[in-house]
Amino acid sequence: MALTTLKNGETGKVISIKSERGRGRIFEKRLLDMGLTPGTLVKVVKSVPFHGPMEIHVRGSRLALGRGMAERIFVEKKEK
Amino acid sequence: MKKKFLIALAGNANVGKSVIFNYLTGLHQHIGNWPGKTVERAEGTLQFKGYAIDIVDLPGIYSLSAYSLEELVSRKYIAVERPDLVINVVDASVLERNLFFTLQLMELETPMVIALNQIDVAKGKGIQTDIDKLEKLLGISIIPTIATKGIGIHKLLEKALETIEIGSIKKQGQFKYGEEVEEKIGMLFKKLKNVQFLYPSRYTAIKLLEGDEDIEREVGRVSPQIISVAKKLARKIASLQGIGCSTVITSERYEVAGCIARATQELVPPINPTLGERLHNFTTHKITGYLMLAFSLLTIFFSIFTFGDFISDLLTTSLYGLEPVFASLFGTEIVGTIIWGGIMEGLIAGVTIVLPYIIPFYIILYFLENSGYLSRIAFLMDNVMHKIGLHGKAFIPIMLGFGCNVPACLGCRIMETQRERLLAAFVTTLVPCAATTVIILGLVGRFLGIQWALTLYLFNLLIIFAVGRLAFRVVPGESTALIMEMHDYKWPHTKTVLKQTWFRVVEFIKIAFPLIIVGSFALKVAEISGVLYALADVLSPVTVLWLGLPAITGITLVFGVLRKELSLVMLGALLGTTNFALVLTPVQMVVFTLVTMLYIPCIATISALVKDFGWKKALFITVFEITFAVLVGGIAFRLLTLFV
Repeated sequence: MALTTLKNGETGKVISIKSERGRGRIFEKRLLDMGLTPGTLVKVVKSVPFHGPMEIHVRGSRLALGRGMAERIFVEKKEK
Repeated sequence: MKKKFLIALAGNANVGKSVIFNYLTGLHQHIGNWPGKTVERAEGTLQFKGYAIDIVDLPGIYSLSAYSLEELVSRKYIAVERPDLVINVVDASVLERNLFFTLQLMELETPMVIALNQIDVAKGKGIQTDIDKLEKLLGISIIPTIATKGIGIHKLLEKALETIEIGSIKKQGQFKYGEEVEEKIGMLFKKLKNVQFLYPSRYTAIKLLEGDEDIEREVGRVSPQIISVAKKLARKIASLQGIGCSTVITSERYEVAGCIARATQELVPPINPTLGERLHNFTTHKITGYLMLAFSLLTIFFSIFTFGDFISDLLTTSLYGLEPVFASLFGTEIVGTIIWGGIMEGLIAGVTIVLPYIIPFYIILYFLENSGYLSRIAFLMDNVMHKIGLHGKAFIPIMLGFGCNVPACLGCRIMETQRERLLAAFVTTLVPCAATTVIILGLVGRFLGIQWALTLYLFNLLIIFAVGRLAFRVVPGESTALIMEMHDYKWPHTKTVLKQTWFRVVEFIKIAFPLIIVGSFALKVAEISGVLYALADVLSPVTVLWLGLPAITGITLVFGVLRKELSLVMLGALLGTTNFALVLTPVQMVVFTLVTMLYIPCIATISALVKDFGWKKALFITVFEITFAVLVGGIAFRLLTLFV
C-alpha cells in the first residue's frame, strides 16, 4: 500500500519506491538519501488538506514530503 | 612566515554550520558564488596561534550524490581543492541522519574533525550521547559544541589544528558494507588503482556501483571499459538483492549510521512535549497554521511598510537638504542639473530603498529562516505551489517578491535544480513588488476604489498561475518535489542573522546601485536633451493606438523600468496634475496599471537575473514580459471599453 493510505499516527515499513522508467530517478535517490530506504519505519504525523504534503517521522527526524512523492512510496502497515 | 591552512565546514542544513562559521571568521568573510554556479560560497579568514586559516563554509547538504548543485559543488571542492581539514558539523539531536553524511565524507578520505553541535537541544529532547564511544567507532576526534553560545568553538579549533599537524588520516576508520557489496567494490578498486582520478579509488568504485552519472562521465573519459564492468557488477548485486544497487548501498550506509547512533545515544523522551514541539504543532496545523501564516505575513509587510515609509520620508527630506549645497557648488546649469538630478537623486533613491526597506526585510527573513519557520511555510504552501509545477519552497521567493523582486530572484537559489531556480525566478518577476503596489493603490485604488485595486491584484495572481503553469510545461527537465527536513524550532543566533543580513545588503547594493544611478543619469540626460519627449512619439503606436493611453505615458513606462517607485510621481509631473481623474479615464488608469504590473519589474531585477541565469535567459524573460504586458494591456483596453 502507498504511504498516503496510512492514517495520521500510523507507522509503516518501507517496502519499495516506485519509479517510472527513466523519470523519477532523482526522486528515488533523494528519498534514499533522506533515509527512506527499504525496511525503514515511517510514522505519518499529519497531512495538509487538499492534497498537501505529509509530515513524517523517519530515523529520528521530521520530514515534509510532497504528496506526489509519498504516493510512490510503498509500505507495509505496522500494527501497534 | 605564517603557516597557512585551509579548512572546510561541511554538514547537513540547519545544524548550526553558519553559526560556527561566523564565530570563527567574525567579519573577515566574503560571500560569492562558486565559479559558474548559482551556489553560494562563503569564505573567511582567521588568525589563530600564529596560523593563518582560510575557512570555506560548504552548502548544507544531506548527501554527496549528484542530486543538487550544492552536493556536486561540495564533493568536487573536497576532492579537488583538498582542504587540509574538513570540520563536519553534526546535529546531536538528529544523529543518524547526520552520520549518514559523515560516512560519505569519510569515503572521500579527507582529514576530519567532528563538531557535535546542539548538544543542548539534544538534551532537551532527552538524548544523551556517549562521545568517547562515538569517537572510537568513527575513529574521528569529536568536540561537543553549543555554537549559539560559543561553547566548544575554541576547543574545536585547537583540535582541528592538532589534527592537521599530525597530518595523518590513517587512524580514521573505514566502515564496511555487506560482503557482496564489499567484494564488488574490491574488484573495481583493483581496476581503478592505476587510473589517475579526482576522487579516491574506493569512493569512485562505490559511486560507480551506485550509478552516479557525474562520476561515470569523468571516469568514462579515462577508461570507458571500467564503466561497463561496474554496470555488470551493479546488476549482479541488484539481481541478488532484488532491489537496485544504489538502493542497496544507500541502505547499508544508513544501516551503519543507524547502528552507530543507537550504540552511542540513549533516548529518554520527556513526558511533556517541549515548547518547540507544541509550537511546531500549532504552526503546521491545518487551521491554526494557516491563520498564523496569514497573520505573520500581514504583520511583517505592514510593519516593514509603516516603518519603512517613516524612515524613508525622514531620509529623503534630510538628503534633499543637500540640494542647495550642490546648487552652489555646481550651479543650476546643465552640469549642475545632471549632477544633482542624475547622480545624486539616483543615490538618494538607492539609500531610501536600502536603509528603510531592504535591511529590515532581510533581518526578518533570516530571523524566520534560522528559527525554522520558513520550512513550515514551505510545508503549508506546497500544494498551492504545485499548481504551477513548483514545490513549497518556491513560496519563499514569491513571498519576498511582494517586497522587492531583487532579493526574491536571488532567493530562488533555495530551489534544488537549475530548472526550478529559473522557473521560480520567472514567476517571481511577475509578482507585484512594493513599488508596483504603490502604483496600484495610488492610481487605481485611490481614484477607482479599493475593490478595483484588489481585482487587479487578484488578476495578477491568476496571471502568475497561468503563465507559471505554461512555463513549467514548456521548460524541459524533470521537476522535483518537496522533501525537506523540518528541524526543531530554535531561537536564532542574533549575530548570525545580522551578518547574513549585512552580506545580503552589500550584494543588493552591488547589483542595484550602479544601475539605479546610471538609470537616473540617463533619464536626466534624455530629459534635458529632449530625447525623452521624442521617445513618447516613437512609442505612440503602442501606447496610443494599441493601449489607448496618452502618448506621454510612454515616457513613464520607460522610466518605470529604471525607477519604478517614481512612476506615479513622474506621471503626475508629465500630466501636470496629481489628480489623475482629470486627465485619465478609468479605463486608462486600469490599463496603465496593468501594464506596469506585468512588464519587467525594474533594471535591478534584470541585473539579478543576469547574475544567476546569464544574459540570454534574462533578456528572454525581459522581452517576454514586456510583450506580454503590452498584449494583455491592449486586450484589456478593448474589453473594458466594450463594457464600461
